[in-house]
Amino acid sequence: MALLRTREPETLYSAASCSVSLAAVSKQYGVKEAILPLNLSIDAGERVAFLGPSGGGKTTLLRLLSGQLETSTGTVCLCDRDLSTMPTGRQVSQLVGMIHQQFDLIPNLSALQNTLAGQLGEWSLIKSLVSLVWPMNRDIGLSALARVGVEGIAYQRAGSLSGGEQQRVAIARLLVQDPQVILADEPVSSLDPARAGEVLQLLVGIAEEAGKTLIASMHSVELAREHFSRLIGLRNGAVIFDLPSHEVTEDMLHDLYNLQGLRSET
Amino acid sequence: MTTFDRTQHTQAPAMRWPRITFIRFSLLAMLALIVASWIFVLNADGAQNHSFLSAETFNRFKDFLADLLGVGASGTPAYAQWSEWRSTGHLAYDTLVMSVMAIGFAAIFALVFFMFGARNMMMGDIAPYGSWFWRGVFFFVRGIFVVTRAIPELIWAMLIIFVLSPGLLPGAVALGLHNAGILGKLSSEIVEGLDQRPIQALRSTGAGRFQVMVYGVLPQALPRFVTYLFYRWEVIIRTAIVVGFVSAGGLGTEFRLSMSYFHFTTITLLLVWYLILVLGVDITASYLRRLAR
Amino acid sequence: MTSTTSRDSAQKPRLLESRRVLTLILLTAFVWSLLNLDWTTGFIHSGGIDAMGEFAKALFTLDLSGDTLTSAISASWTTVAYAVAGLTLALLIGIPLGAIGSGVLTRSPWLRVTSGGGTRFSLAFFRSIHELVWAWLFVAAIGLSPMAAVLALAIPYGGILGRIYAELLQDVPDAPLRSLRSTGASEWRVFWYGRLPMALPDMLSYTFYRLECGIRSAAIMSFVGLGGLGHEIRISLDDLAYHQVWTYLLFLIGLVVIVDVWSTMVRRRLSE
Repeated sequence: MALLRTREPETLYSAASCSVSLAAVSKQYGVKEAILPLNLSIDAGERVAFLGPSGGGKTTLLRLLSGQLETSTGTVCLCDRDLSTMPTGRQVSQLVGMIHQQFDLIPNLSALQNTLAGQLGEWSLIKSLVSLVWPMNRDIGLSALARVGVEGIAYQRAGSLSGGEQQRVAIARLLVQDPQVILADEPVSSLDPARAGEVLQLLVGIAEEAGKTLIASMHSVELAREHFSRLIGLRNGAVIFDLPSHEVTEDMLHDLYNLQGLRSET
Repeated sequence: MTTFDRTQHTQAPAMRWPRITFIRFSLLAMLALIVASWIFVLNADGAQNHSFLSAETFNRFKDFLADLLGVGASGTPAYAQWSEWRSTGHLAYDTLVMSVMAIGFAAIFALVFFMFGARNMMMGDIAPYGSWFWRGVFFFVRGIFVVTRAIPELIWAMLIIFVLSPGLLPGAVALGLHNAGILGKLSSEIVEGLDQRPIQALRSTGAGRFQVMVYGVLPQALPRFVTYLFYRWEVIIRTAIVVGFVSAGGLGTEFRLSMSYFHFTTITLLLVWYLILVLGVDITASYLRRLAR
Repeated sequence: MTSTTSRDSAQKPRLLESRRVLTLILLTAFVWSLLNLDWTTGFIHSGGIDAMGEFAKALFTLDLSGDTLTSAISASWTTVAYAVAGLTLALLIGIPLGAIGSGVLTRSPWLRVTSGGGTRFSLAFFRSIHELVWAWLFVAAIGLSPMAAVLALAIPYGGILGRIYAELLQDVPDAPLRSLRSTGASEWRVFWYGRLPMALPDMLSYTFYRLECGIRSAAIMSFVGLGGLGHEIRISLDDLAYHQVWTYLLFLIGLVVIVDVWSTMVRRRLSE
């Protein structure tokens, strides 16, 4: 599904030019070093998974990439633009969108309204208010929901949907938002194995279709191996390995998840 | 592993003062207040007070009750005359109208301002672009809530009657103002208790601050807001009669007049209307509350 | 493979969804109430705007003279005393009636319905009538005695406290009580050793909240002539002594804020 709508030329990014690079990026919380200085470069259209134990820095790194956190040192560049120089959240949201493990949706609103929220950055305040009562631009939302396979529940309250359905709606919202880079923080960790595989396949498929970069932190190593071409292992805030998925060995994984020497979560 | 030797423990430990915790201090202060208050109340001016628990008081109560029921008075009691019921009926209607207007004013005010009175929205948790301006707004809004709810409805009415001509409006505005502060504070607390995660996710889609409020906070806060709204309506209908004492509208005005003229049976009639209103509102509110799920 | 929830066409949103009906009812009711106003005559009193302006200006010429301050302090104390005394009486009414009304004191369903229902009805009656109406009735009955104010406060507050206490006592988790019962304790013992201690923090918390309301109610009690801040405000208003009105108002606001802050601190520590 190509671009769902046209944008003004000056903000049009072509997916091909959207690479991600981190230069000497680190993140410190007071004394604690959540991320040690690292360099990372991800090409447009790559599918990358972060692996590693909890507290190892996966989520922090994703949040640095999304602009939610500011780096202590170094710069994050998306599509050749320094993230810290972007003046508004709206511009950032055109570059990068994130889906979380759960609780992404507003429970009281319908699936359709949640999906259309991906466009909020482009709507005026009046339009947003009206849309609460009578959703505007429904077609985009409905086709996004159809693409993820849940158009039947478009008018149901998001809070009443199952975990798998909710994640699909969150993906539909991403479709409507149409960022160049998709980030996913353990997107399928709350789902049972069958659903997890389905939803992940959907996510990866969508990213591939549009040629968008997909960066996800993954809890399950098997799923990561199956769907992602490049695996990066993070432990204690540092990169342990950064390899194509078929080159990652059991020993490396063992070292990655080894309990000994693991920094405790704060 | 240390062993326990009883012979080592024959000496009693030194006495230590109990920790002066805040709660204990508060309880002691309360106790002191209670004692002082009762001493004050029982010894205040008015020799009537000493004989409160006496036969005389009992008789006065009895006589008052008899007066209310019209026992021994000439003529039929007001509450037994259908014409009286009809003429006071429109007062009850007015009081009802006043209550609905008042809760409407309060609700509108609260809806406009409550998100600005929520700590998590204003002080940077959900709003990463928080600034001194918004902090100022927060304290200002909270301040308005405090002041409007600190002043009792009756006093508001006394002040407002200077500005607005008598009728239903001054009473409704007085009730509305006072409850605006209460509803506002309660609603802000709803927002502060919300799950932050959907709201933060919404922010990451590029929504602006106001859009996040409208789309993310408002839908989640509304169900509980409606509950509080009905709860305050039940309080307002009880207070509407009191506000009528000063604002020339509804049952309260008639009540005051009847008191001055000692029309006791009319008072009973008005009280019955009052209880009907209160019961009606309570039942309606509990039914409507169910609609809000 | 698409998920099992896909249907050919999405369900249309139901127009008569209960929440939309509610919104409609609320809006209609409000508009209807506004229509009942007399729109032909002006709303603003002639000279009202000027009066408002003068009143607002008077804030800056606050009356802080010795006389006013002393009467403000003494009126504040009167108000506080009435509130505290009234609330203690309310506790004496609310705790027993609430306990009985909650139906947790006895295991016999018959007793529960009769005694419980009876007390719940009386509590509802007590709290149906505003404290100022009770005050007026008491003053008419026994004259201008402080006890009239105290009683007028105690009865409706007792009703409110009783109802809330009943709910809190009922909502106590059952598991610890079950183990108490298994030791052979009577329902009465279960109440004293199990229910009451568990419900006590919430009960205390709500009582402190009621204290704040009580201050406000006591202030207007003086409207019926019983002394206190409301009385002083009324007198000053009648004399058009706006700067004095502000003094008393500020004392009232200050009093309420102090109690509010204190009660919030107590409640926070209770819930820790």
